[in-house]
Amino acid sequence: MKSFTPDILRIKNPEALTDKICQKLKEDVFRRFRRKGGVVGISGGIDSSVTLALAARALGSERVVGVLLPEKDSSPDSKALALKLADKYGVQTVEENISDALSGFGCYTRRDEAVKRIVPEYNPATDKMKIVIPKELLEQNLPPVFYVTVIFQDGSEISRRLSPDAYLQIVAASNFKQRSRMAMLYYHAEARYYAVIGTPNKHEVKQGFFVKFGDGGADMMPIGNLYKTQVYQLAEFLEVPREIIERTPTTDTYTAEQTQEEFFYQLPFEKMDLLWFAWENGYPADEVAKVVEMSEENVKKSFANFERKLKTTEYLRAKPLHDYDFWKP
Amino acid sequence: MEIMTIKKEEIKAFIAETSFTEMDEIKDDTMLFEEGIFDSMGLLNLIAFLEENYGIKTADTDLVEENFQNLNAIEKFVASKMQ
Repeated sequence: MKSFTPDILRIKNPEALTDKICQKLKEDVFRRFRRKGGVVGISGGIDSSVTLALAARALGSERVVGVLLPEKDSSPDSKALALKLADKYGVQTVEENISDALSGFGCYTRRDEAVKRIVPEYNPATDKMKIVIPKELLEQNLPPVFYVTVIFQDGSEISRRLSPDAYLQIVAASNFKQRSRMAMLYYHAEARYYAVIGTPNKHEVKQGFFVKFGDGGADMMPIGNLYKTQVYQLAEFLEVPREIIERTPTTDTYTAEQTQEEFFYQLPFEKMDLLWFAWENGYPADEVAKVVEMSEENVKKSFANFERKLKTTEYLRAKPLHDYDFWKP
Repeated sequence: MEIMTIKKEEIKAFIAETSFTEMDEIKDDTMLFEEGIFDSMGLLNLIAFLEENYGIKTADTDLVEENFQNLNAIEKFVASKMQ
């Protein structure tokens, strides 16, 4: 086995890897699924940007549509960045504001009602909210316990642990966002006889940081096997606009801004990539600890955490079960 | 001592029921999270169950592995809170 070094995940030849991904994407869209092109939901984030760039390179920019899917909680920066991206690759864009659809589903009211059960002072018209895992709990080898943080109009904050029912309701209501986006992407894909090209990266797929049949609903996921640092490396190679590369990845889900690290990953990407790779490939914790500059104990905790996440998120990755094969002629 | 044994069985029954795990698969030292029996929701549900059934309050500082990792740990944690 190759010795474990800080640059073990570095892609030696980004062009060759890009060509392989693009070749397969082309095969999958045109030959396997016999679709005429692809649609990509673009948010101005790094993953969707690299996916769009790959799609344009693989299929030809005239056969790709970038769909902007803002809603009332989206960051205003997202639109400008997404448009800049599409312009860079000569890809046509469509903007679909899904706020009305989400209101129709009761996404905001159901979410806010659950938040109010925990923080009665919360006023959705003026205050912002997000779900967090407190820093003190991150080092524990326990599944994350979620808290709701409300940021009041005057800037003061309050964080309270969520009850199981409030947590489930907030998540279920918020998931309308990703599922509505998926529905709209399929509208634009089917109206053109195109495929939906999904944007999750390897961590999102394996650690379960996606919504089943939401952003997890797509025909193919070309960056689904790339670590986050590798996505950044391809972004550099594909010349994704600098502002996108330098932007901190956020969830863009709740009204208060929230980084992905804060919400889900609990580790900076560079470390998480190395740890995940080490765990997946059976590198011993003591060897890894020296490279990632963590204690051996904490590396072991991370490994245990990955194992737990992989097991508990299997449901999200599972395809609908149809092996109910009992009838025989 | 007998009361604690009953509690442990009640807790075990709750874990088994909410995680769809057979009772005999949950030993006193079965690592609930490492084994994938419980995830975040399981932990939140367990906290709610303990608070409702034993009248305890779980502080944020109580949310450590040593208090929840297995049945033995949970029993000890509940006993310490009830004192």
